[in-house]
Amino acid sequence: MGQFIQYMINGVISGSVLALIALGIVAVFKATKVVNFAHGHLILFGAYFYFTFSVVLSEAAFMPDWIRSWDPAWLQAYAGDAAMFSPKAAIASWVSDLPRILLGLIGALAANAVLALIIERLVMRPLLGQSAFAMILSTVGLIWVLEGSAGLIWTAEAEQVPALGPNFPIRFELFDQNLFLFSGSLVNLVVALLLFASLMLVLRYTRSGVAIRATAEDQSTAYAMGINVPRVFSTAWLVASTTGAVAGAILASRNGLSPAIGLFGLSVLAVVLMGGLDSFAGVLIASMLVGILSSMAQWKLGGGVAEIVPYVAVLVVILIRPHGFMGQEEIERI
Amino acid sequence: MITGHFKTDYSADEGIWSNWPKRWGLVAALIGLAIFPFMASNYALLLAGQIGIFIVAVTGLNVLIGYTGLMSLGHGAFFAVGAYTTVAIHHEWPLTFPLITLVISTVVAAAFGVLFGLPSLRVKGLYLAVATLSANFIILFLIEQDWLAEWTGGVRGTETPNAVFFGIELVSQQAKYFFIMPVMVLMLLFAQNLFRTRFGRALIAIRDKDYSAEILGIALFSYKLKSFAISAAYCGAAGSLWAYFFPAILPEDFGLNMSITLVVCLVAGGMGRTLGPIFGTILILLVPEMLKVVAAAITGGDATSQTWVSPTRDILFGLMIIGFLIFEPMGLVNIWDRFWRFMSRWPFAK
Repeated sequence: MGQFIQYMINGVISGSVLALIALGIVAVFKATKVVNFAHGHLILFGAYFYFTFSVVLSEAAFMPDWIRSWDPAWLQAYAGDAAMFSPKAAIASWVSDLPRILLGLIGALAANAVLALIIERLVMRPLLGQSAFAMILSTVGLIWVLEGSAGLIWTAEAEQVPALGPNFPIRFELFDQNLFLFSGSLVNLVVALLLFASLMLVLRYTRSGVAIRATAEDQSTAYAMGINVPRVFSTAWLVASTTGAVAGAILASRNGLSPAIGLFGLSVLAVVLMGGLDSFAGVLIASMLVGILSSMAQWKLGGGVAEIVPYVAVLVVILIRPHGFMGQEEIERI
Repeated sequence: MITGHFKTDYSADEGIWSNWPKRWGLVAALIGLAIFPFMASNYALLLAGQIGIFIVAVTGLNVLIGYTGLMSLGHGAFFAVGAYTTVAIHHEWPLTFPLITLVISTVVAAAFGVLFGLPSLRVKGLYLAVATLSANFIILFLIEQDWLAEWTGGVRGTETPNAVFFGIELVSQQAKYFFIMPVMVLMLLFAQNLFRTRFGRALIAIRDKDYSAEILGIALFSYKLKSFAISAAYCGAAGSLWAYFFPAILPEDFGLNMSITLVVCLVAGGMGRTLGPIFGTILILLVPEMLKVVAAAITGGDATSQTWVSPTRDILFGLMIIGFLIFEPMGLVNIWDRFWRFMSRWPFAK
């Protein structure tokens, strides 16, 4: 029972990261009706940008010392002689990393936003109005362009990047079972869910959110009502790329930086289809489900099986419900 | 100059080689294929063999994507099934006649095609693309399992047998070329012929609008499954040839990259035409070679150039998909058509 709850918790944590990634795919699909196969590689770029700004740039010669390692007097006093791996030491080392973490996040968000705008303008805009097939294939082409460029710019080695939050083990008791988790993953969970929730609120209550929903409903009517549809498209890509950058930073700090992040993004596509392409709620449910199932598979069947869980799950789900848990059924005219 | 196709009976109308440029083009191509191995270097033969195998696979994908209008991003898996079936057969019975192995591999791949074509009953387009993508990951995962490692070699891959015809082992590139090319030509002819039959026309009707086809009395599910089976069978045959052609295979050879490469070849060549896969495959497989030449010219044969050749090739492939989709959605075949139209009407009109 203790193990079961433990793996359940791990599943929810990885499910929240899946949800954060899925968010970007759903946002782009809702606004532009394009399913972005290259979202995983957008995330890969986010991760590499985070690495570039927080590790490479912060250690550059022209950067002031406090960015590399912030060490004010009060921090030294706080850390004092805290033992290794104690919460206090972890928080102290996180605070001293904070400037470069922030630099990395801001840099990754900005760079990824620019990248997404370029992609939207050069690749997706000319294909506007083309068949779904052409749209899918052009994002498949993007996978290779992005992967190749990443290989050219950054050498493809596993690199370490600073985590978003202080990382120390937390032990606690639940139903008389001893459980533990890392505070770093807890921070990731909170960040992912906060982003997810705030985006839902933005879509529901702001002007541009309403514009996105209107465009999702009916493009030409939205045009006729004076909504700037191309700008809605750019906004959707911006949302996808910036949430993707955060997801990239989380993934890179959790598993190390490597091109495999791109492939991980592809498995999220399976999650999105499970939940239903145009439903945030469905996708959240699917993410949690896949996260928990993967974690259970890892517990009972080993790590290899866990990797293909999303693919098996999506096959089963779309055979039973072709439009996912909560996706809207497409109506076709002959 | 061709001014029209004048036909006096239905059999002429149904003919595959309806005009003399097609007939003589075929003869010239066959003669070219037959003399090529006596003039080419070993390296050129290696490339030619690879291109021949890919043409078979891409033709199979063309049946599914180009003629039936069903999307697949998982055909690398059927390629793998064909290759590993061949290896497994030779593992059990080392002296099996290669053509029998080829046929069995083809049939096994077709069976897998039916299995993973099942989602096509309920989903299409994007959903099917993801379903086949999933199939690709699942099949490769199965191949890598330990309990199959005796036949597949697991993650570390396995050595593959050479084809033995009546005591003659095909070792040299030239000998393998003469095994691959006849198979390729036969399979191309089969595909060309398929689409003037009732069955082929039914597939085209499904591509154009599936519900309308159903109203016309075409059993959607069975035809879609058969289309999946045929295209998987082509990939299985290609996989079997691949196993005979290369000394060893790895599961990761048949991953997503392979599947996407097949689609790229098809898009670049032109979907729904027999010549499309041929043009597309030749173009796509020769791009890395051209890149190597360019790299050698720039760096003077420097070994460090290797580190950027592979990413650059990826970028070029990606740009080619996007470029073809934006500027030439019908592929190279369309350029070819335009050229011949221009030639036949010259100097009167463009």
